Amino acid sequence: MLRIRDASVTFPASDGQDVHALDHVSLDIAPDSIVVAVGASGCGKSTLLNAIAGFLPLSEGSITLDGKEIVAPGGDRGVVFQKDTLLPWANVLDNVALGLKYRGVSRDERHERSRRLLELVGLADFAEKPPYELSGGMRQRVGIARALATDPKILLMDEPFGALDSLTRETMQQLLASVWAKTGKQILFITHSIEEALTLGTTIVVMSPRPGRIVARFDADFVREFAQSGDIGPIQSHPRFIELRQEIRSLIHQPEGARTGTLQ
Amino acid sequence: MTLAANSPTTFPISSARREPGSRPRRSASTSTLGISLVTLAALIALWFLAAHFEWASPLFLPSPAEVLTQFSAVWADGYANGTLLEHTLASLGRIAAALGVGIFLGIPLGLLMGLNRWVKGIFSVPIDLYWGLPPLAYLPLLIIWLGIGETSKIVLLSLSTFAPICFAAQAGVRSVPVERINAALSLGASRLQLFTSIILPSALPEIMTGLKIAIGAGLSTLVAAELIAAQSGLGYMIMSAANFLATDVVFVGLIVIAVLAFAFTSGMRWLEHRLIPWKGKL
Repeated sequence: MLRIRDASVTFPASDGQDVHALDHVSLDIAPDSIVVAVGASGCGKSTLLNAIAGFLPLSEGSITLDGKEIVAPGGDRGVVFQKDTLLPWANVLDNVALGLKYRGVSRDERHERSRRLLELVGLADFAEKPPYELSGGMRQRVGIARALATDPKILLMDEPFGALDSLTRETMQQLLASVWAKTGKQILFITHSIEEALTLGTTIVVMSPRPGRIVARFDADFVREFAQSGDIGPIQSHPRFIELRQEIRSLIHQPEGARTGTLQ
Repeated sequence: MTLAANSPTTFPISSARREPGSRPRRSASTSTLGISLVTLAALIALWFLAAHFEWASPLFLPSPAEVLTQFSAVWADGYANGTLLEHTLASLGRIAAALGVGIFLGIPLGLLMGLNRWVKGIFSVPIDLYWGLPPLAYLPLLIIWLGIGETSKIVLLSLSTFAPICFAAQAGVRSVPVERINAALSLGASRLQLFTSIILPSALPEIMTGLKIAIGAGLSTLVAAELIAAQSGLGYMIMSAANFLATDVVFVGLIVIAVLAFAFTSGMRWLEHRLIPWKGKL
């Protein structure tokens, strides 16, 4: 269980005014759930993820994972980045095995475990390739396999499919849903796509910018159906899906309009 | 697939796009190789003509044939207290020693300067200051301090190879993408593992570039230093020959230096291809 209590992150800005990237955010991520944070850019969703990952210190509040306070990056939280961060000098298999190597797992064992993960993400035939010979979608799959390799307690995904074309993106969403159904990992997923949030989330938190806050949360379970059927069409035409999409859209757009009004 | 079948004219474009690896680059380099060889042949032909029709006095511009004869003479009998091989080896020995010093001091110090604010703060000012000086300007000082022997020359050359290598290693550390570091940390890397598995290989392309610059700087400083104060080496041979207006020997020396420089550059390119085939990708 990941517990976020009153987490705030404040940056000093160049004009002397502090930027409240994250303002008293509280959130629980239970095992076996996918929490998707959705919002316009600047709403603090990436800041939230970076704080959980341990890349950013909190100004206030606390984040605990299974009761242990998070102070630095660590292998108990796997991170998948928007920009792939694979090592170009290592082949796909060694990239997946990197975290296991850091833990001192023997070469044979880490290769065996990494091969199984490559099978899970459908890249078993690409183990010996250098990452730069793979397409963007394939590289993100390697990134997911790499993050899963150390068997982290939670998977943190920062707009992982944001840079992919829409067809590849759908394939990747399917893959993630099935990986989640198979591994039961708790996942925090960041996106600016409302459809993606509804398709993948068991909980959707809507965030708004300046200061970065959670303004609403919804429960959904389209992802279970999606993991089984692998077909996005019927889900996205479900009346409840359309209704939620509309509600979230108005939540995201409305306060922004109101805010520009007060600024002027 | 269907697209390519329907419109065959688009096929080469799409296949080139599918393989962004080494193939286009290799075909580009072979296509310039032909042009370069023709240019080289044209230059030699021009030299031949200029010498044959005596556009310049033979005293100033020897013919290719004379240079070739002189080459074998200097190779066999020697010139200015040594054969061509001895002079070349003397020069090569100096540059090898200087590169060794530059690598073994420059890389570790540059890496430390990239990693640590204190090390950078302490060393960057003295390195910046001396790197701006022309080596020949402080050579007299080095000769006064260290004598006329090998030490002063190797120190001079080491100073000129050290700075570019050190700067490159420092730039290499700073060029590591922060996401790559964060990714490694979230995979549980310790500080040492972060350095050996991420920072060092990420810095390697910059370090190789620094080495290339260091070889160039070393070579030009070397010949200049040998022109002033030496009893052996290609620069010394050229200077001795120039004193007697033996322009053919000067040409022999220049050609050897040019071949050496070309060999160094090609060797570095080969090494880059072997060590960092991934350079510029990802």
